[in-house]
Amino acid sequence: MSDARGMALACREVDFSYEEARAPIPALRGLTFEVGSGQSLALLGASGSGKSTLLQVIKGLDPPEAGDVLLDGSPAGAAGYAELRRQVGLVFQTPELQLFAASAREDVAFGPRRLGWPEADVAAAVDEALELVGLPPDRFGGRHPYALSGGEQRRLALAGVLAMRPRLLLLDEPFVSLDPATRRELAKILSRLRADGVTLVLATHDVDLAWALCDQLLVLDAGRAAAAGPWDFGESGRELLAASRLREPFLVELWRRLGRDPSAAPRTAAAAAVALR
Amino acid sequence: MRPAIAQYYPGESVIHRLDARAKFVAVTALTIALFVRDSFAGLAVFAAAGVVAYVLSGVPAAWFWRAFRPLLWLVGLTFLAQVLFAPGEPFFSFWIFHFSWAGLEFAAFLSLRLLVLVLIGSVLTLTTPPLALTDGLAWLGRPLRRLHVPTDELALMVTIALRFIPTLLVELDQIMRAQRARGADFGSGGPLKRARALVPVLTPLFVLSFRRADELALAMEARCYRPGVVRTRLHPLEAGAADAVLLVLTVAVIVAGLLV
Repeated sequence: MSDARGMALACREVDFSYEEARAPIPALRGLTFEVGSGQSLALLGASGSGKSTLLQVIKGLDPPEAGDVLLDGSPAGAAGYAELRRQVGLVFQTPELQLFAASAREDVAFGPRRLGWPEADVAAAVDEALELVGLPPDRFGGRHPYALSGGEQRRLALAGVLAMRPRLLLLDEPFVSLDPATRRELAKILSRLRADGVTLVLATHDVDLAWALCDQLLVLDAGRAAAAGPWDFGESGRELLAASRLREPFLVELWRRLGRDPSAAPRTAAAAAVALR
Repeated sequence: MRPAIAQYYPGESVIHRLDARAKFVAVTALTIALFVRDSFAGLAVFAAAGVVAYVLSGVPAAWFWRAFRPLLWLVGLTFLAQVLFAPGEPFFSFWIFHFSWAGLEFAAFLSLRLLVLVLIGSVLTLTTPPLALTDGLAWLGRPLRRLHVPTDELALMVTIALRFIPTLLVELDQIMRAQRARGADFGSGGPLKRARALVPVLTPLFVLSFRRADELALAMEARCYRPGVVRTRLHPLEAGAADAVLLVLTVAVIVAGLLV
């Protein structure tokens, strides 16, 4: 993964709706935004605002009804788009519920094998991914997925996607129902991926982790982009966060209360400690 | 979500508001009459009753059609089997197959009978929530309790099973999507390959189902569920004048169908 360069993502006027008994329910409406190569985007918004739908549309599990999902600038249907789409990794909400194989190693190997890699490459990718998520293959490779703890299962499921060496990683609420220690470990893994240049899209309700990990944000409100671009902690930016049932990150609020520039707030407690010492 | 075979369509029509027990009794009686009567004229009467009931139900044709379409295979197969193997004076023979006018007529009759049956049955399931249907069946099965048949428990089992079908479908969909995101391919290859492709889907689905069953049992016990106790209902079934009208009309249709 160290050689992975991030993929650029752009959505142009994307519409999507779910077919229901009476009328289609619109889930995404005229959505336009972009994330540059190696950048990270926090996808915020109340439950039901379309975050999961957007991630699945980007991955190509559902084609958009209108508009384009551009991967490295190519629209769907362009030559090489299928290959680009394979380089998009999607980690579902509570992905540990999708573990199935008899050993951790086998489960992680599922994706790379589907890509048709030679077995030696698969083994290397599996070891690398297990190592990266903090489940050393020599200790965890042979364990049964259901014999692992909840946090270990979550990381194993992440490894199953990372082993496919995605250049764009989409994560749907990766921190849900994790204990604080596991959250911290997962955040570390994600910031390492970010440092390696993988483009990240992180759907979450946790504004503190979003602030720690992401350069930009996209706030969804009933399938529309209520805000897109860099973080904004001016009057209107704060109102917007409140309207979407969010709050500003703790460190930003702290900086504001200290009378400092909130947009220059540190991203981590460690950085805050350095700045305040 | 696409409707499964004759899946309930929420509505407020006359047919929707009828009591589940009355509808079930009417459909059962019509079904029996349908199989007793063996003339096209009788079939026409029952078909007309089914069409009227369907129109009154207000279920959109598109919904009905999508729910109905898979069953046409069954009707088609029935027709084919009858045409090919029915006895009678053949007017055309091919290998072991003999086509006769009598056979054609018989095949057409059986297929139409099946169509009418499906139509009448569909109106019931399209307009009655599965839970109301189960409650109605439990009520109708009450006399069996004297024979120590645990009707309430059976009804509860069916109710729980029905309740979790949509949940399981959503989970199945999620798991399939997740595995597709990891490169799984469910649509290609031979039967063996396809069956193998289902392992990554069925394993988590079973694990989830067993876990849920366990939790549900605990939750029911925590709320003092005991088997074998007479239970009251949150939404008691209520039959009214409309249901009496339905039963009278049903009798009229059956008499008409049997006499024409």
